[in-house]
Parts: sequence; C-alpha cells; structure tokens
Amino acid sequence: MSDTHKAAPMVDEVSDFEILEMAVRELAIEKGLFSAEDHRRWIEYVHTLGPLPAARLAAKAWLDPDFKKLAVADGVKASLAVGIDWINGPPTKFGTPSDYCSFRVLEDTPKVKHVVVCTLCSCYPRTILGQSPEWYRTPNYRRRLVRWPRQVLAEFGLQLAADVEIRVVDSNQKTRYMVLPLRPIGTEGWSEQQLTEIVTRDCLIGVAMPQPGVTSNAKRPVHPAVHPIHTGH
Amino acid sequence: MSKNQHDRAHHAKKASGVGDPQCFRGEAGQAKFKNGDKVRIRDLPDIFYTRCQVYTRGAVGRITKVVYESPAAEDEAWDNTDHPEWFYSVVFRQHELWPDYPASYKNDTLETEFSERWLEQA
Repeated sequence: MSDTHKAAPMVDEVSDFEILEMAVRELAIEKGLFSAEDHRRWIEYVHTLGPLPAARLAAKAWLDPDFKKLAVADGVKASLAVGIDWINGPPTKFGTPSDYCSFRVLEDTPKVKHVVVCTLCSCYPRTILGQSPEWYRTPNYRRRLVRWPRQVLAEFGLQLAADVEIRVVDSNQKTRYMVLPLRPIGTEGWSEQQLTEIVTRDCLIGVAMPQPGVTSNAKRPVHPAVHPIHTGH
Repeated sequence: MSKNQHDRAHHAKKASGVGDPQCFRGEAGQAKFKNGDKVRIRDLPDIFYTRCQVYTRGAVGRITKVVYESPAAEDEAWDNTDHPEWFYSVVFRQHELWPDYPASYKNDTLETEFSERWLEQA
C-alpha cells in the first residue's frame, strides 16, 4: 500500500452519539452489567418490532366494543390479544428502563384528537410500535408540538376544525401511549385485516388520520443541506 | 442507602416477570389526590435531573387518572428506589400553559404525568 493511499470509509459518517453508544456499551460489558451475548439478543429482538401489532389492536377495537373498553382501561392487557407481552416479551423480562410496562390507548372521538410527543427525549411505545421515526425525535417536533399543535399538525397535512379539542399528550414519565384513531367512513363491513392495513404508524402517533386506500405514511419533504459535509474522501 | 450499593442488578431482579412500574405497586401508601382534583404544579428546585417540564411549572390543571406508583424520576436517576410515590396524569387547558394561545382554540388541552411531590391543591 503506498503512503498516499487513503482507505475508503467503511461508513459515510459515524456520529458522536454512535461513538458514545459504543463506548458506554463496551464499558457496561467490561463491568459485567450485561454480556455481549445479551446485547446481541436485545438488538435482534428490537429488529423484530414494528407498528403492525398496534395497528391490529386499533382494528380490533373498532370491531369489538368490549375489546375497545379493555384497550382503553388496560393497554398492557389488551396488547396480549395482538401478541405483545410488555413484561415478558423483551429478553429482559421486565421491559427496559426506557420502555416501561405502562401503556395507555388514547381514544379519539369526533370532538377530541390526541397526538403524542415526548418533549424530554424520545419516549415511544417501542414494544408495540417499533422504532420511532426520525422526525419524532427531533427538537423541532418536540418543542413545537406542545406550543403550536395546530400548526405542526397542519404541516403533516392534518387540519382540524376549531371546535375539535386537540389534546397533546407529553410522554415524559413511565407511561407510553398510542392513539386509537376514529374509524373512517367508507370502511363499513371491512375485515380486521383490511382495517389493520389503513392504520399507519403516523395514525398511531396521532399526526395522521386513517383513510381508505392509504396504507403508508405520507412522505416527509427532505431538504438538501445548506452547508453539506465534505469528508475529503 | 438501604440496599447493597454494588448490586447494580437490583432493579432488574425486582421487576423481572412483574414489569416496571408494576413492581412498585403498594409501596407508596395513600394517594394524596384523586381523579378530578384541581392541582397546581410546584416550582421545586431541579438541579441535576428532573422530568417535570418547566413549561408546566405554576400552571393549574385537573387530574384525569391516578396512574401508578414509582420512585420519582429525580430519585430513580440516582438509583434511589426507596420512596415510591403516586403518579398522576394531569390535563391543562393550553391557554393556561401559553397565555397567548389563540382564544379561538380554547378547547385545546395538554396531558402529562407528574409524581406527587410536584403537585399541590389548587
């Protein structure tokens, strides 16, 4: 290898937070708080998670009034019906210190629309919804949603009448939340499977409402950086 | 500290198969507030760590749900789980939090949780 040769980067960029995560993880393994094997099992578990169980929970609640009552009263118990055991599902058998086993289903009505945020960091019901979207963790969403909910929802394409109560739920202690949206008109006679398909992740956070024919999250605009990073490679 | 200072897994042992905050059930004694109570958020010192957002301090809201028992985040951050408290979900009118919130949206609300130490009767 000549002196002038520069190795191609293995990844484009490693953020400070990724370096911090590696450092803390390696220290924790050295200290014996958990093993490398525990960590691998945890990562594999996390990669199996997604919003589908929460979507199915919403569909079930639309179809079965008794199940809806249970979901609103005891989200942890209702989650068992869609295969999510908050307590024993994760490899730790007690959730995690950031995904506690307190789960509330927030029922929208024609006059109340819920929307979830964590102003402190990124608390999110990962056990039943998977990893949070990047925008959910941004300071922009977190600080603006509590202060200007109508404007932020409008940016997501959701404009609500003045007489609808928007209830922002700030998830900053141990309870995690999902929104049970209103069942849209035009879905009469639909099966649980059909209904599940229109309950997208954004509907479960509360920034969108389900619509027949819409089965994926709306695209978010991505703006090119004003001052892009030049790595020199 | 009542527990072995070097038992870093004590939380995991206590919560395994039970869940957190379920593992603190029955440890906080009598709840001071109930559903429907009007409460004001206290403005306590929060040096080092807190989960009580500054935008709620001094605001008056109503308890909608007595949620669970748990050590307050301000204690748990230092691994102190000796004194669990009741937690409450409190709803505020947005106008109470942000005085210039538009009057045409007076129905809008915000809900979040507090440990008992942050609340006083209003």
